[in-house]
Amino acid sequence: MKYLRSILPPVLLGILAIAAWELTVKLGRIAPFILPAPSAIWAQLVEQRGNVLDAALASGANALAGLVGGSVVAVLAALAASRFRLIGEVSVPFAAVFSALPIIALAPILNNMFESTSSLPRRLVAGIIAFFPVFLNTLRGLREVDPTHRELMDSYAAGGWTFARLVRLPGALPFVFTGLRQASSLAVIAAVVAEYFGGLQDGLGARITSAAAFTAYPRAWAFVIGACVLGLVFYLSTLLLERLVMPWKTRLLT
Amino acid sequence: MTAVSIAGVSKVFNAGRADEVTALSDVDLTVDNGQFVSLIGPSGCGKSTLLRLIADLTEPTAGTVTVAGKPAAKARHDQEYGIAFQQAGLFEWRTVRRNVELPLELRKVSRAERRTRAEEMLALVGLSDFGGHYPAQLSGGMQQRVAIARALAVHPPLLLMDEPFGALDEMTRERLQAELLQICAKTGTSTVFVTHSISEAVFLSDKVVVMSARPGRITATIDIALPTRDEAARQSPEYFALVTDVRKALRA
Repeated sequence: MKYLRSILPPVLLGILAIAAWELTVKLGRIAPFILPAPSAIWAQLVEQRGNVLDAALASGANALAGLVGGSVVAVLAALAASRFRLIGEVSVPFAAVFSALPIIALAPILNNMFESTSSLPRRLVAGIIAFFPVFLNTLRGLREVDPTHRELMDSYAAGGWTFARLVRLPGALPFVFTGLRQASSLAVIAAVVAEYFGGLQDGLGARITSAAAFTAYPRAWAFVIGACVLGLVFYLSTLLLERLVMPWKTRLLT
Repeated sequence: MTAVSIAGVSKVFNAGRADEVTALSDVDLTVDNGQFVSLIGPSGCGKSTLLRLIADLTEPTAGTVTVAGKPAAKARHDQEYGIAFQQAGLFEWRTVRRNVELPLELRKVSRAERRTRAEEMLALVGLSDFGGHYPAQLSGGMQQRVAIARALAVHPPLLLMDEPFGALDEMTRERLQAELLQICAKTGTSTVFVTHSISEAVFLSDKVVVMSARPGRITATIDIALPTRDEAARQSPEYFALVTDVRKALRA
């Protein structure tokens, strides 16, 4: 009942919004080439479902590879930055520069650096985009250590590495996942958008541009919905992973 | 042999700077084996600093600290003491049992041995049924009991406590005081206990060390000889007389 009450309002609102959209387009207030009706997009989605799925799988693989690679590097870099003062002071401005790199600037360069049959450029773009939120959040988490925990570990005469493994890392996990949640959506966006600038054309981004180039707007929108769902899948998977990895948080809710 | 021996110890923070503070000045203190000693005094009198010196979490500017017949640093490396703070300081990502196991883990005690010892300690503090819980699922008093169990897990000859019941309500506090006394009697552990509660110090201790601030020093040492340590003792005239003695010493 409680579950129903929390899920019902957004679902109702969504249905109303789609109905209003359909009516506005059908009643002729908006030209179909500007905004297609939901029914037309749905028809395309059903017709193209095989293509949407294939493209989503290709983009999903790129986003996943980028997310995993970027996050692993980010956590390792944050560990080094929290362990060695010098690296910590130098790395944050560097990371800020990295995060300021726009995908649109990066993608064409990387696409030209590798062969056109390589998936690597898109994965690199996704990885670079995923790096920053994970790095910054993890670093903040690693630096925030309960003073009681520090004194306690000192009293056990625990060394630096033991301290990092037993206290710093687990203590930073909630921060790591805050970063991962942001990175998961960003990685999908990066993997899709990177295809607008050349490289291998087998993902959602390429399908959207080619459909739009043929003025097949309902089809373009069908692939946009595919990208939307892919982003959601990534985000929810991260949430699920968070619950599995940090049972002490979930256990409190039940 | 004495559990703790402190001779001519001074501690100066920020030496040579404008904000130089003499936290402790020329302190001598002896804790005999099995003795329960409380450090009491106003805030800033250096009682926590003194405890940290015994624990080798900070170093004296002058003087020597000997724990279990060894220099304090050696005693810390040998885990000759267990320590508990005002904050329970449990690791929220570990279950209660694994929190208690932590100091044993660092000592490379085998898994089976760790498990047995943790169960034994949890039984000692009356939390056998909560080994699988996470700290956040326990009340403040229960968390503090886990912290005590963890401090005792390596069977240290010395227990150091820095206002461990300071954040608890009066009823929980009195119950834990009684439990602590039983545990110390059962295990024969020597204890150094920092508090700012006169009644707590008198009820728990064999010896109350009264300190004063600016500079931190020991102003009086009062031996406590209560015949029993139970609810009746809290109502006895001897108890009230000793509370008055400590209060007077603090005012002097």
